Amino acid sequence: MFIVPKEREVPQGVVIPSPVKDNREMITSNWRSKRPYMKYLDKCNLCRNCYIFCPDGCWTVDEENEVVVWNADFCKGCLICVTECSAKALDAADELDFDGGVIRLEKSF
Amino acid sequence: MAKEFTYSGCAASAQACKMAKVEVICSYPIRPYTAIMMELAKMVVNGELDAEFVHGEGEHAQFSVVLGASAAGARALTGSAGVGVTYAMELYSPIAGGRYPVQAAIANRALDPPGDFGSEHTDIMSVRDQGWIMGWAETPQEVFDNTLINYRVGEDPEVMLPQFVCQDGYFVSHIPGKVSVPEQSQVDEFLPPYRPHNPLNPKAPFIHGPQIKPNQGPVIDLQRAVAHLNTPKVIRQALDEYNQIMGRNYSPFLDEYRTGDAEMVFFILGGHARTCRFAVDALRKKGVKIGMVKIRFVRPWPTEDLQECLSKFKAVGVVETSTSYGGAMKGGILLHEVRASLYDLPERPLTTSFMAGLGGEVVSLQAFYYMAEVLTKAIEANKINKYVQWIGFEPDWHEFVEAGG
Repeated sequence: MFIVPKEREVPQGVVIPSPVKDNREMITSNWRSKRPYMKYLDKCNLCRNCYIFCPDGCWTVDEENEVVVWNADFCKGCLICVTECSAKALDAADELDFDGGVIRLEKSF
Repeated sequence: MAKEFTYSGCAASAQACKMAKVEVICSYPIRPYTAIMMELAKMVVNGELDAEFVHGEGEHAQFSVVLGASAAGARALTGSAGVGVTYAMELYSPIAGGRYPVQAAIANRALDPPGDFGSEHTDIMSVRDQGWIMGWAETPQEVFDNTLINYRVGEDPEVMLPQFVCQDGYFVSHIPGKVSVPEQSQVDEFLPPYRPHNPLNPKAPFIHGPQIKPNQGPVIDLQRAVAHLNTPKVIRQALDEYNQIMGRNYSPFLDEYRTGDAEMVFFILGGHARTCRFAVDALRKKGVKIGMVKIRFVRPWPTEDLQECLSKFKAVGVVETSTSYGGAMKGGILLHEVRASLYDLPERPLTTSFMAGLGGEVVSLQAFYYMAEVLTKAIEANKINKYVQWIGFEPDWHEFVEAGG
């Protein structure tokens, strides 16, 4: 009745298998103008507030080395983690202060 | 053996939901649909129904909860009325587009102003183009039957669409009538368990409602449109089977009353069809060749059935029961659809509409007699004067009443 070209096919109701890992087609790091960073590593008490509050799941806990790890590809720079950091170990800085800081731009992602 | 009970429309709806074994219910009170949830809450508390009963913090929450429940694989029920229906507006498209076959039990209520409790169909008619299946019941019996039929149709793999099962507030929802209730085994035979596509499951994760790219948007819209194109066939099959199992006599889309030799018909939906049947009988006694055509589903709209049915008559009077301000037909919504359906026919009946049953007002026998006179005059003159007549306010209405009509 209708012909949908193969490359435009979409599963019914857009229900798709979860990649269960980073989705490389949806990188959102260039939405960021500020980034959170670990300013005082010695203050971090691994309270996991950053991990719990991050809306994009960009903080994970490296149990072995007892540090939190930041995912630079999907952090949009909302800085909720900085606000919620109970030990005041995290701080925010301008994105372009970093080597390889992302530049916002030509397309949304 | 089926047993007969006396139920209001709300009680009939709750009984049918119980027999459909709904698994998740989300409520929020607004008259007149509230009584459905009150009945269901009692059933859950008394252990008659094994369902998760969630009380939402508003209608937006209600429809969000059932979306999630349906995605997780549960047969879900919610419902609302009037401004509650419009408060949940955001969710109608995601539920239909995500293809979650939830059901909403609706008892129609006039929108504000004037904060009226009475029935009017503008609440649901306002959301008719979001992709939901939508139909009306005339009696508590039809509420009961439509509840089961809609779950079966909506959950069909070719359809997978949500459904509005509507009844007129008060006129159907609160006036008791006889309801023949089948055996649970008959319901189970008709309505198999809900089989979701790719339900949420931690062991095999799926993403529901992901961010998509612009070129995927039209494809999803097309899928929803195709689902609606498939639906009439599924409705016919379901009705055939329902009639057979339950011993009923429903036609899928158009219920005709005394149309055999009719020159003109009332075209109507919902509870006012009850009064309309009495009006047809009385007019027939006076020699007026009139009948009634009641439409059971507004979405999907049965275009071909309507062409075949209405082309037999000389005049069709559409009883609106909802409003469309500033539209092509300068009044109601149904007339748009009726006239568009008939446009390609070589011989078309004269069609006009009547604004009646608004704000909870009854459509009186006198109103139907007036409509018959307008239609009779239209046939004599072979033309209609107006697209829309407002019952109670037209100059010729006052003349009709003064002349003792």
